[in-house]
Amino acid sequence: MPIPVISPAEKSYIEQGVETDCRADGRGRLEYRHLVLETGLLSQASGSARCRLGNSDVLVGIKVEIGEIEQDQPNQGRISCNVECSPSASQQFEGRGADDLNNTLTLALERLLSGPQSGLDLDKLCIIPGQQCWVIHIDAMVMDCAGNLFDCIVMTTRAALFNTRIPKTEIQDLGDGEFEFEVMDDVEDAEAIAGWENLPMSVTLYKIGERYILDPTILEELCSQVTLTVGVNKTGQVCGVQKGGSGSVDPSLLTEMIQTATTLAGPLIQQLDAKLAEEEKNVLDKRRKGEPVQKLGFFAAVI
Amino acid sequence: MFVAIGSPKRLSLYTISSSSHYGMDSRVELLTPEGLRVDGRRANELRKITAKTSVFSQSDGSAYIEQGNTKCLAAVYGPREVRHRMQALADRAIINVEFNVAPFSTSERKKRSKNDKRSLEVATFIRQTFEPVILTSQFPRSQIDIYLQIFQHDGGLLQSCINAATLALIDAGIPMLDYVCACSAGCIDKVPVLDLNNLEESADTPELTVAILPRTGKVNLLEMESRLHIEKLASVTELATEGCMQIHKILDDVVRKNTQHLKDRLTS
Repeated sequence: MPIPVISPAEKSYIEQGVETDCRADGRGRLEYRHLVLETGLLSQASGSARCRLGNSDVLVGIKVEIGEIEQDQPNQGRISCNVECSPSASQQFEGRGADDLNNTLTLALERLLSGPQSGLDLDKLCIIPGQQCWVIHIDAMVMDCAGNLFDCIVMTTRAALFNTRIPKTEIQDLGDGEFEFEVMDDVEDAEAIAGWENLPMSVTLYKIGERYILDPTILEELCSQVTLTVGVNKTGQVCGVQKGGSGSVDPSLLTEMIQTATTLAGPLIQQLDAKLAEEEKNVLDKRRKGEPVQKLGFFAAVI
Repeated sequence: MFVAIGSPKRLSLYTISSSSHYGMDSRVELLTPEGLRVDGRRANELRKITAKTSVFSQSDGSAYIEQGNTKCLAAVYGPREVRHRMQALADRAIINVEFNVAPFSTSERKKRSKNDKRSLEVATFIRQTFEPVILTSQFPRSQIDIYLQIFQHDGGLLQSCINAATLALIDAGIPMLDYVCACSAGCIDKVPVLDLNNLEESADTPELTVAILPRTGKVNLLEMESRLHIEKLASVTELATEGCMQIHKILDDVVRKNTQHLKDRLTS
């Protein structure tokens, strides 16, 4: 199926719009689209979240399972990421059309989340040192593609990890270096992932002409030659930088873009975290009062 | 699966607590003597169905259906140009179906590849179900794509897929002869039961899925892969057909409500 195409006239229109800080939908260069975020939609998963950024729709389900430790990190649990673009997201994702994009997004997400830069306390995920640990499987499904996929995926993954609960385990020492552990059934005992607050957020800037924009639509993405993805955590530390696209960028512009991304990420993380905490508080209040908690999921009206 | 003595809340050794440990060993009572099933339903009751159309912006038609805890999503593209020229038919459109189950949909994570045999089989069933219903002769040399996604698996996959696909096709404006409504039914302790959930399905209950065109009552799909006594077949099929008529009413309500909403927005 054809990849989206753009005419030179449309391209010129978008470039001029970016130049004058008024894009096709009226936004400024550094404005996000309307954002809808909800956690805890899937009862079968250990954690889940769905985010709709403009028209880009991503659903993340997290399953926590017991697995073998990796030999080079015998005292840590691990995270495995997987991104899948559903054919419903775009005409070009039919059959094997999405394979390349899936790979790119999966590796980018893994780069951001596995390793010390993710800020997660992987030591806490170890059950029996040298043998068993918790493995967090992150499965992101892109349901609708309307530009700025990676940022949307990272936002949703953060929210889903906030929502994830890891069952408590009790270890018994049988002596002789043998250990046995039991998994508690009680949902109340399950704990949140330690170090969640340090998860980085990604901000991707797209260079169009001599300016750069945030959160592009598909047509704007087609006009950009260079993209810069910066991972920033809540203390303002940079957790990863990646340049994409098929153009080259001036080093001074590059530094400026990294600066901007770092500055923008701070308030974004703050606001998102505040909203997530508020949602959780509402759910807990409702549970305590015995009221039913209704999750909207795909029934949320977005028009 | 081992049950520890003395502490009813804990499981021993390397087992994870999950609902799928109802398996070969335990005898869970699927139908109590009072006539109640595991989730409190009667034998001939459907699970609660909620549905919505026009969920996505990119696809021509889309629908989301929740039947109990099973969550299914359908997206339709078309009619559009055929992807592989060799497959184009001169007198009608071809229908292409892709079926995918999310890794987090079952209680144990399982990543299925796109070419998994079960997925391909379900896709083929759905294609065969819709081919006679869609007026494909109106679109020669084109392709209609139906993409199905399961987010949560609690039984009744084939039936929710067909119901979701019907809604999505209607949402895409593709002309069809009639709705296609599907329902599953089974037999527990010689009693025909309607709409099985995952627990009942995995407990070796004979399960039959039927898809009908409600106006004429014609059967488009009949699928069963377990043992059922021939004397019970008629009553189980009849129960499933009744379930289909109930589902037709629900789907019709959803379509009319969504169309009314569109009409209101246009005229307001």
